[in-house]
Amino acid sequence: MSMSVLRRVLLSPGLLILAVLVVAPITLMALESLRPFVGGRAGGTTGWTLRNYTELTQPAYAYYFWDTFRIGFIASAAALLLATPLAWQAARTTQPALRVLIFGLLISLLFMSLIAKLYAIQMTFGPTGPFAALGTLIGVPARSPQYAQVQVFIGLLHFVLPLATLMMIGTFQNISPRLEEAASSLGAPRWSVALSVTLPLAVPGLLAAFMIVFAACISNFVVPLILGRGVVLFATNLMYTRFSDIADYPSGAAIGVIMLVLAGTMVYAMTAIVRRLVPADVQR
Amino acid sequence: MTSTACASVAGDRLAGFLVRFLLIATVLFLVIPIAISGILSFDDREFIGPFPPTAFSLRWYRSFFENPSYISGLFVSLRLALLSAVISTVVGAGAAFALAETRWRARGLVEILFLSPRFIPTVVIGFSMLGFASAIHIFDAFTRLVMGHVVITIPFTVRATLAGLVGVRRGLSEAAISLGAPPWRAFLDATLPLARTGIIAGALMAFALSFDEVAVSIFLTDAFTQTLPIALVAEMRANLNLTVAAVATVFAIIAMLIVAVLDRVAGLDAIIGRGMYRE
Repeated sequence: MSMSVLRRVLLSPGLLILAVLVVAPITLMALESLRPFVGGRAGGTTGWTLRNYTELTQPAYAYYFWDTFRIGFIASAAALLLATPLAWQAARTTQPALRVLIFGLLISLLFMSLIAKLYAIQMTFGPTGPFAALGTLIGVPARSPQYAQVQVFIGLLHFVLPLATLMMIGTFQNISPRLEEAASSLGAPRWSVALSVTLPLAVPGLLAAFMIVFAACISNFVVPLILGRGVVLFATNLMYTRFSDIADYPSGAAIGVIMLVLAGTMVYAMTAIVRRLVPADVQR
Repeated sequence: MTSTACASVAGDRLAGFLVRFLLIATVLFLVIPIAISGILSFDDREFIGPFPPTAFSLRWYRSFFENPSYISGLFVSLRLALLSAVISTVVGAGAAFALAETRWRARGLVEILFLSPRFIPTVVIGFSMLGFASAIHIFDAFTRLVMGHVVITIPFTVRATLAGLVGVRRGLSEAAISLGAPPWRAFLDATLPLARTGIIAGALMAFALSFDEVAVSIFLTDAFTQTLPIALVAEMRANLNLTVAAVATVFAIIAMLIVAVLDRVAGLDAIIGRGMYRE
């Protein structure tokens, strides 16, 4: 058995699985999204239509997408802001124990069940929780319907913070501490070194982290499902409701196709940005 | 000391204070909810009362074991996570080996293909898998679940194995072959043992991901085959009770144990890496 045969043997099960279990189902979904909806029937209808898509341009539906992007964006921005000091500390500390402690915390959180975390957030920040007063503090009482948005925001933030921090640790570690030392030794105050030396060098990493975190937020399903209390629905939840409540499979498929296109665009934009900002020799 | 130097020292102090404050607030934000639900899981009260509890007991842990839908869900989830992790580890690690050994130009493209399920929203995977399964006449919920979970876990096993192989010199298996070993021997004796850490990390991630999955499973379960997360979500949406707090606490402890094991086996520092400028 030669090397190339071995390679083919190792690759083919994976390629087969991807073709059968990813490409085929998504192709089928894309076709289904062009089918007319006949109440009470799942699939098997004939004829083609764009109605499932035109329907989604109505303001009522566009609002779900707007909610998804707005809350997702705010949560991602907050995650980046809060992750920066933590990632910085982990990347630059000289105490190994502190480093392992931060890593342990972050990886434990990544491995911890999201449902468990969301439940904990509901018990802490929810209307019955000890931190419910936070809502009153920011002008959105915990019992008001709008507070669902705050809770979804908190849930998303808690979900993506470990991810953002771990990615940013990587970014900061790959910025040479020598540059900061040089700037400091020339008399620049540390905050100005951070803003004028470290931050510009970290921009590509920060942008990449932001895009990944943002993508994770807007494609999330469980956080709005549990913390949204039916008031906040993301596009993902809308897709599920279409399927579970009224069995409108074609409309759900259309939402799925739109989400897929959005996700693809984001990945493309992310790679384009990173490619533009990072010189080619650093990438490899 | 000049006044500008004074200002810069004061600025540094202020910035340092702000950064420290933000750091501590972040850690507290991450930890406090889990601590609170941990404490509440031992609450003896029958209802969800104000924090902190006035009396403690293990009643919510007992109530978990007395609920048949949780117990059957737990077993479905364990079987599902184990089977999906095994399949996706074997397939994903194999693909990663092949990718790491090749130098063809299509390599990058094939790698992206293997990682692509990560960029597909999980609801889309669940939704499309349901339509596909019924199109090919698979109506068994457990089979459907395995199909969906293998897809979402493969990117992680491929990624982790590839990361583990970075440390392995690319020419190593070629050296073994040039010394007369058959390729499969070179693979088994040279490449596989060296990539062990990456494979284990990938398998653990796949298991954890599958065990906690909701968005794919919610489409693929049926009335008779429910996973534990789906049962928990149904419970949480219907009525809040503290059984879920007990489960959440157990999950938190398991996560910490997994990390402790990872630290022992591979070292957290080594998993994350120290970057270019540290030795």
